[in-house]
Amino acid sequence: MRWVVPEAEHMAEGTLGCQGCGGALSMRLVLKELGQDAVAVLPACCWSIIDGPWPVHALDIPVLHTAFETAAVVATGVKAAKTIQGKDTTVVAWAGDGGTFDIGLQALSGAAERNEDILFICYDNEAYMNTGIQRSSSTPTGTWTTTTPDQRPEARPKKDIMGIIAAHRIPYAATATAAYPEDLEHKVRTAVSIKGGMRFLHLLSVCPPGWKMEADQAIEVMRRAVRSKVFPLYEIRNGREYTITHWPDDLPIEDYFSLQGRFKPLLGNDEMLELVRENVEERWQTLLARHERSHSGAPA
Amino acid sequence: MSGLDHVDNYPEIPVSLAATSTVLKTGAWRSVRPVIRIRTAPCSAYCPAGISIPEYFDHLKEEKLDEAHSVFMERNPFPRITGRVCPHLCEQGCNLAVATDEKPLSIRSIERWLGDQTADLPHPYPTEETGKQVAVVGAGPAGMAAAYYLRRSGHKVTVFDRRESAGGILRYGIPEYRLPTAVVENEIEKLEDMGVEFRMRLALGTDLKLEDLEAAYAAVFVATGATGQRSTGIEGESLLEPGLAFLEAANRNLASLPGERCAVIGGGNTAMDVARMLQRMGAKVTVLYRRTLAEMPAIEEEYERALEDGVDFNWLTQPRKVTKLGDKLLVTVEQMRLGTPDESGRRRPEPTGITRELRFDGVFSATGEKADTAPFPDRLRDSHGWLDLDGDGATKDPLVYAGGDLATGPATVIEAVVAGRNAARAIDAELGYADRWPAEPPADTVSPAEVNVTYMPHHDRAEDPPAVTADPFAEETNTLTAADVLGEIDRCLSCGYCNTCGTCFVFCPDGAILWDNGPRIDHEFCKGCGICVNECPGHAMVLVNEREVSHA
Repeated sequence: MRWVVPEAEHMAEGTLGCQGCGGALSMRLVLKELGQDAVAVLPACCWSIIDGPWPVHALDIPVLHTAFETAAVVATGVKAAKTIQGKDTTVVAWAGDGGTFDIGLQALSGAAERNEDILFICYDNEAYMNTGIQRSSSTPTGTWTTTTPDQRPEARPKKDIMGIIAAHRIPYAATATAAYPEDLEHKVRTAVSIKGGMRFLHLLSVCPPGWKMEADQAIEVMRRAVRSKVFPLYEIRNGREYTITHWPDDLPIEDYFSLQGRFKPLLGNDEMLELVRENVEERWQTLLARHERSHSGAPA
Repeated sequence: MSGLDHVDNYPEIPVSLAATSTVLKTGAWRSVRPVIRIRTAPCSAYCPAGISIPEYFDHLKEEKLDEAHSVFMERNPFPRITGRVCPHLCEQGCNLAVATDEKPLSIRSIERWLGDQTADLPHPYPTEETGKQVAVVGAGPAGMAAAYYLRRSGHKVTVFDRRESAGGILRYGIPEYRLPTAVVENEIEKLEDMGVEFRMRLALGTDLKLEDLEAAYAAVFVATGATGQRSTGIEGESLLEPGLAFLEAANRNLASLPGERCAVIGGGNTAMDVARMLQRMGAKVTVLYRRTLAEMPAIEEEYERALEDGVDFNWLTQPRKVTKLGDKLLVTVEQMRLGTPDESGRRRPEPTGITRELRFDGVFSATGEKADTAPFPDRLRDSHGWLDLDGDGATKDPLVYAGGDLATGPATVIEAVVAGRNAARAIDAELGYADRWPAEPPADTVSPAEVNVTYMPHHDRAEDPPAVTADPFAEETNTLTAADVLGEIDRCLSCGYCNTCGTCFVFCPDGAILWDNGPRIDHEFCKGCGICVNECPGHAMVLVNEREVSHA
């Protein structure tokens, strides 16, 4: 095999993810590096469904289903219990963008501020998908959802969750996507290895039905998000040291948007498209400057 | 609520009892299914021999040299030879080059390495003798290939040739610096070691009669080549030296330079060989060609090497007359211009009436050779006097086959090898052994639009490095190193052939591709998203409609 990705599987077949589900693929790849001494805490999100109806479930680690706003705090509690038991179990809060950017934000911020010894992973499909594609604060500018229809597409930019997390100065935060599996596995390994503090992974996670696209393009679309700088791959250590882990190649942003029906309003609106282009470039330049400052030898 | 003050007293809470795979058979969601399918790579489709290139590359990648060698030998017994002189049409088809701005895989150089690595590997001696005897006339590439495949099938094979040593054009036509005689001799020895008998200094038509061979052998394959000099239509033609005869003399170390300034008439591979050989012997050579570079039939690489050797080219130059002027030759040439395309699709040279005179010490003609079909009776020829052959080289006489340059006129070594193999297969079938031959590759060829180049490493194409030698007649290039070969194979998309890269396995969202040294699709759970098919670098997977599967 050409890929440096573990062969062992820790997610059963027969999950209830849709065809081409980025959330299912992200979970499968993360589990390969997580190890079996781990517990997953799932708030309300697609994965509440994907894991299967009781009495079956898909992961070979314990899963706690919990309320929407509580992923970080339940994970904190589980970790505390494990610590009392004298175990070094990795506790993962696995939440969608709703359970991270919106409804789960206060618990996430609290856990991050206390620097809890948990790994919070957001698989971000940029809307409330399993309830019927309603917009979230992660939905990017110009997107169609059922609550931001073609006539009134999402107007606000996607919330900068990595900026919020960095502001908490936790030991480790990184973006990743299943389209770059070796980069993803490396970041999971790094996050698991850093003990004693909060780690955060932000995974762009394709949703073919919600993004209105062909399922077989699921990897390609995530790859294009990275190549076009819409979703750069990087790490932040201690909230200050930035490292870009994959260099984009100037793919036009249109090549990312055009694979997806949800961006039809954006592609039909030159003014909005220019705004998005400026926004992508501005965020990239900010990231680049932080990366260069972090690697220049000067104090961060 | 007594007892709940300690965790040990809590009642058990419901936990899941089994994995989703026990009850959720998500394969039922699917309307299309991915199937791993061996398809034909364009390199294989472009290769006259149809060698399964991605397959033997995969064996090389796994460091299974013997397996790679046996895959190769199914279609071409002489990788050391074609690895040096083949025009590598395969590389023209390479999907990597069509789909990206990368250079094609260096397929011929890898073939050469395979040949050199297996030079000492003996051909398997046939496991059982059929008791049938087959005669092969002509010990060039077509005859040698036929002898290999016929002998492999267990027939007793006798190869006749008019010269004192076997090899034909390989030994006497192609210069030493392109194909060392030692390489040719090694192949002949290996044929002898597997039991092929060579009988030399016996020419068809004089020492051997076709009808005598027919009477004595179960079948006869004739591949005596095309070495006859074709009339050039140039006035004073007798003053020209035939190019192929010069090459043969040079290969026997018997050639001498007529003087410093030499001209070669023609634009084919023989013309390139003659020009380069003369240049290496110390002459200053000018090629006179009546069309332009675009129409020139010589392999581009040979033209480029001729330029490197210092050969000069006069385009649109048609020699009309050669006369003797003291110890020089005066060549009157007419300036041509390109007109409308001819039947070969190349633009026809048209006269302009403008002439000039050039002086040379020697002028060589290399405008194409013709086959000598005199030994064949009229009943085996068509109304034009050509041999009347089917695709496998069978004549009207069920015992007699013909192939190679004899049948096609001057062509490439690989085409001769293919003709030899085709005739051997047809003869074998005629003798009752058709089942010994592998199936032909599937017609379904992987197109450039289907491949996924995302995962290919980007590095320079590996080419045969120039040899560092002061001897102008020593082989001009070296064989790649093993490391270069493996690096080059890493660039291969492996079109239509699963080389177990693992891309399908890594990206399956459902874990429905199981990995056991290679992928196996678990159709009980595969939802048919198509990611594996889309991401497969060489598109060795296809999506099949479930309806077709259930009705099959």
